Amino acid sequence: MKIAVCAKQIPDPANTVTYEVGTIVRPDEQVLDDTDRYGIEVALQLKEKFDAEVTVISMGKLGTQKGIQQALQMGADKALVIEDDKLQNSNSLMTSNVLSGLAKLAEADIVIFGTESSDGYSGVVPQQVSRYLGLPCISYVKGIDINEETVLTRQTMTGSEKVVMPSQCVISVTASGVEPRYPNFKDIMAAKSKEVEQIDLSAIEFTAKHNQEFKEINSLSSNKSGEKYIDEGDAFNLIIEKLKEIKAI
Amino acid sequence: MKSLIIGEVSNGSLSSGTLEIITKLKEDNLDFILIAIGSEDSPKIGNDSFESTYFKLNPNELSLSVVADKISEKIKENSVELVLASSTYVGRDISGFLSVDLNSSPVSNVVDFTITDSILTTTNSIDGGESEYLTNVTSEVKILIIRPKSFEATDIEFDENYTTSDVQKNELSVEVNDIFVEEKTGPQLEDSKIVISAGRGMVDVDNLKYVEELATKLNAAVGGTRAIVDAGWMPYSQQVGQTGKTVKPDVYIACGISGATQHQVGMKDSKYIIAINKDEEAPIFQIADLGVVGDTLSIIPKLVENL
Repeated sequence: MKIAVCAKQIPDPANTVTYEVGTIVRPDEQVLDDTDRYGIEVALQLKEKFDAEVTVISMGKLGTQKGIQQALQMGADKALVIEDDKLQNSNSLMTSNVLSGLAKLAEADIVIFGTESSDGYSGVVPQQVSRYLGLPCISYVKGIDINEETVLTRQTMTGSEKVVMPSQCVISVTASGVEPRYPNFKDIMAAKSKEVEQIDLSAIEFTAKHNQEFKEINSLSSNKSGEKYIDEGDAFNLIIEKLKEIKAI
Repeated sequence: MKSLIIGEVSNGSLSSGTLEIITKLKEDNLDFILIAIGSEDSPKIGNDSFESTYFKLNPNELSLSVVADKISEKIKENSVELVLASSTYVGRDISGFLSVDLNSSPVSNVVDFTITDSILTTTNSIDGGESEYLTNVTSEVKILIIRPKSFEATDIEFDENYTTSDVQKNELSVEVNDIFVEEKTGPQLEDSKIVISAGRGMVDVDNLKYVEELATKLNAAVGGTRAIVDAGWMPYSQQVGQTGKTVKPDVYIACGISGATQHQVGMKDSKYIIAINKDEEAPIFQIADLGVVGDTLSIIPKLVENL
């Protein structure tokens, strides 16, 4: 079994995001998107059971590659990455077109994603990749049970449902169900010698195009800070008064 | 601009997100086709003023890719230029599939759009609603994924006059073995006039009982932040925020919620926001109409007692 798992490098969420002409400014040092840790954890659990090979796939500004290293430190075997000026400010389709190409190069049977990145939130890349690859798509997986066969629990609008994982498919994993592992010192050292192969964009059949022209950003600063009250044991009275005032009770 | 709506069926009729999109297109005088997707028998989704087709799924199969094949055909046959879906699981799955077929990247998280001289401009809300981001969409077919509650739905009468197409499985379908439906009591999160949400400040899952008691007293729905949903304290269906539900109740009571932008996006348009948090600097206070700095765990039980 061969698995490709997506790792997106994003600006550290602890810092303020800045925009330039409508685009997120990406610093040299970007970190692994927390959402992807869940997908990587699922990939590693499959690796442990089925002796699978796990390839990290990533596209976009590489910079210091900190985020890629973080993915390798968790236990992935190697990485395939693409950086190209043509991919700047990529939309979701361009992203998934490139990631599909990398998944093919990794000869992946199973391709795993988080449900949506924490900086772009488009939430459609896993579905697009499944379409490009012609594979079944099992989206919003919130639980995995690996035995003789692997049972995936999908989140649905009304509850959940279980499916047996097909031998080839694309999966998107929600941020629950598995607990992403933290690498120890040995894992961190081992990651340094793992291969990170840079692929040329020309190695991929790239057909997706830009389709959004930036127009403007308007600030809606909604700082409406109302009354602030420091509780001295009687705040409940004030809340009840307000609820009455606005006729909520 | 000839349009097509990817609608969803729930409880015998169209979902609220679908109704919101229909209302918007009617207001803008756009000619559209409705595609409704669901697994129920004979929902009311027909209307004289537009063509409706119902794709009926077998709940024991994942076959949305088959539905996408059919919608792609319909888009091409009818020279559709604008495709709209709600930002739900089904809406996102279908939009993702269609975007590859049509070589047109979908625009996600759209909160408004306008068409002027055949130019489609979309508005996205970014930075937790602090800024709006406008772009012109230039592809031949434009796919928009609309955030729920972006438009107000008006009452429209529906009947049972429409075409039904049973979705057959193909080689990409996956069999579903076990279906679990969460039991829901009390008002629904999206429709409730009062929403009470809990965050990490509730400290322990057992303390959620206070929030539930308060909700019962106020006939309110209970929501939560991504942090507590990820921690398994609450099912995902109750998550409020960017990756969860958008709510706009008359009153929103945030209990022990710091107010990360991810959460604010889902609730900032509530009419009256009450925030209770120990941390005076919590960002939630910036958008609260009434901010109470104090211990949620002592304030809520007193509220329950005195209401």
